[in-house]
Amino acid sequence: MSYDPISAQVDGESRLEMMAPLARAFSRSVPDHPADAGLFGPQSLVWRVNRDRAFPLAGMRSLMVQALHPLAMAGVAEHSDWRRDPFGRLAATSGYVLTVTYGDTASTNAAAARVRAVHTHVRGTDPVTGLPYSAEDPELLLWVHAGMVDSIVHVVQLYGRGLDAAEADRYVAEMVPFAVILGVPPERVPSSVQALRAYLESVGLRQATPAAREAIAIVLDPPDLSPDLRELWHDLGQVAIGTLPQWARDMYGFAEPTAESMEREPVRQLIGAVDLMFESLPGVLEARERIELRSRG
Amino acid sequence: MLQSRLGRAGALGRLALRVGGRYVARSPRLIFASVDRRSELRHDLALRTADDVAEELGSMKGVLMKLGQMASYIDEDMPLTFRAAMARLQHKAPPMSEDLASSVIREELGDEPERVFARWDPVPFAAASIGQVHRAITRNGRAVAVKVQYPGIARSMTSDLRNVGLLRRIAAAAFPGLDTRSLVDELGERLQEEVDYNLEAASQELFARYFKGHPFIHVPEVVRELSTARVLTSELVAGSRFDELQGWDQRERDMAAETIYRFVFRSLYRLHAFNGDPHPGNYLFHGRGRVSFLDFGLTKRFTDEDLAPLIDGVRFMVIDGDGDSFRKAMERAGFLQAGAPVSTQAVVDRFGHFYGTVMRDAPMTITPAYASAIVKRFFDARSPLAPYSDVPRTYAILQRINLGLYAVLGSLNATANWRRIAEEIWPFINGPASTPIGEAEARWYEQPGQRGAVLDRTAGGCAGAGSARPAPLGGSPPSA
Repeated sequence: MSYDPISAQVDGESRLEMMAPLARAFSRSVPDHPADAGLFGPQSLVWRVNRDRAFPLAGMRSLMVQALHPLAMAGVAEHSDWRRDPFGRLAATSGYVLTVTYGDTASTNAAAARVRAVHTHVRGTDPVTGLPYSAEDPELLLWVHAGMVDSIVHVVQLYGRGLDAAEADRYVAEMVPFAVILGVPPERVPSSVQALRAYLESVGLRQATPAAREAIAIVLDPPDLSPDLRELWHDLGQVAIGTLPQWARDMYGFAEPTAESMEREPVRQLIGAVDLMFESLPGVLEARERIELRSRG
Repeated sequence: MLQSRLGRAGALGRLALRVGGRYVARSPRLIFASVDRRSELRHDLALRTADDVAEELGSMKGVLMKLGQMASYIDEDMPLTFRAAMARLQHKAPPMSEDLASSVIREELGDEPERVFARWDPVPFAAASIGQVHRAITRNGRAVAVKVQYPGIARSMTSDLRNVGLLRRIAAAAFPGLDTRSLVDELGERLQEEVDYNLEAASQELFARYFKGHPFIHVPEVVRELSTARVLTSELVAGSRFDELQGWDQRERDMAAETIYRFVFRSLYRLHAFNGDPHPGNYLFHGRGRVSFLDFGLTKRFTDEDLAPLIDGVRFMVIDGDGDSFRKAMERAGFLQAGAPVSTQAVVDRFGHFYGTVMRDAPMTITPAYASAIVKRFFDARSPLAPYSDVPRTYAILQRINLGLYAVLGSLNATANWRRIAEEIWPFINGPASTPIGEAEARWYEQPGQRGAVLDRTAGGCAGAGSARPAPLGGSPPSA
């Protein structure tokens, strides 16, 4: 059956449209004919973990953690068009992560160079703390990296295909080049789960600024979502909140979700439903098959 | 074990040729055509562990694909979110690896498939909804099709079905305007039946017994001793697929359509059972109207009381043209609220569409447009009757006549005097044979001791409740 959900107009509104940029980014980031195995290679844990179906949940949690650094948040708030196009922005970020994961070395380097070039223009003064910021600042890059890696590990352990403690440490260590290619000195990048969490908690500037609250409110309730997807998205957001460290929930003032709503089985069912929609978009299934076939060698 | 592709295909060709008697495929080409279906399966992506299965079909995915399959009966331009998702995916679940499939056989039948069977083809030749089908030859030389269920899928689907809140929300998204409660209930009922192959085996046996010896309708026999809750072994059938039938001449297609029509309504009105899956994938065609019916994963049996309003409906609408009595029958059965503020003419207009093939005693062509119009009417939430009409749970499965059967017949552009055929089958008419297929069927039916008549709920002496009660020897003809 050939049915193109992207162009499906339903009562004048297309329902999966907002996911389309994510699907395109996914499809484009997984090459058909890579020149080499890239930074990590098909046998790496990075390959396995970064395609876990719990990734959207990890992504939501990442944003919630990352937004708690006022300077990182100010850089995004003042230099990005995310308010106008939150899913486009999300697609750009996830496309970058996927390219660095599955792309060959040349594509990875090109993608990193593009991000670094953009970062040279992202500088200013944070209105809340009054501190100057620059997106080239290794401290901010490290914060963003740590928020992402910690979120992936935590979420995949809870709701993903599984990652034991030793694998989690190995994954964190394998991910170090992710930070390095954007300009963080390798010796500064934590290479174990414990070091990663200790680092996150050591950052004294952490706080939920008005910009962070506004950003996360939009993450939890994106404007373009059709009503039937909104509820599923809302549930996913509540789970993401439940996976946050207590300090992060406290800063936002989020209530802790009930233990029942955090149980593995129903959360995986929710993730599965969302994942099925995503997989139905053109190119996604094929990209996943490319990854799977390369992993099998 | 045969290694080369050629060797394997040759072995399968020989295997298929062993299939007995009337249902041998018409030519070697057709045997290989069905063997070739294996190329649709992505063996390079085979699921290698139960964990792979859970990843691919667990966590709602398999259940939602099933919802999508149900939705695919619903017309093409329904609003969709999930339906599009599932339509694209439902045929893409990869097969199990040879080892994983063998492990299921080991657990269910106690030994390696190569020892349980005299010959075992480790490469599945077809996908099933939650499993795959292998060819094999039993130790006593029978060619069989062995349906093997994905390991772990029964447990995970059962758990997924318990998450009714999420399912209803998704159903509401996929089918705005429909009653999500009954949709999800039906999904649940259907999947619970599908995950236990014992239930399917029992249903298939019921149909096989009833139609045994029928000159046009063939239901493969179940091999009970090689079947369990997760393995279903039945007689292997070689035949042509629906898409091949589409390439045959119109006369062939008309005859195949007539047989499908007879199968559906004879099952319903005579056996009081309905196989809920009129679906192109569930038939194999042998030419000149002979059809094998596969997949009894969703079968519903009806009591005499269940069936009475349906029979009344036909009688009052089609035979008597008595709108008031028809309306009362629909109210009794729960299709229409009693005392709804709508005219009886509106009731007749609305329900009359579903009797369109039998209203007139004349040949009629069922076109795709006709089938699609039936579906649209069925789901028309804007009908003045919509607020007052409902499909009671007992009859929900019969929606598939409207949603599935007519779609199948429509895509064949089938022509027949459906009214005359129906009159043969309706127990209150017992009309004379009206076609060559009907004449052969009547001879089959009237054979002394014919097995079908034993189970026939309307044949003389065998109208008791329950199934398969032995009838008096020499079961009476239906007119008795």
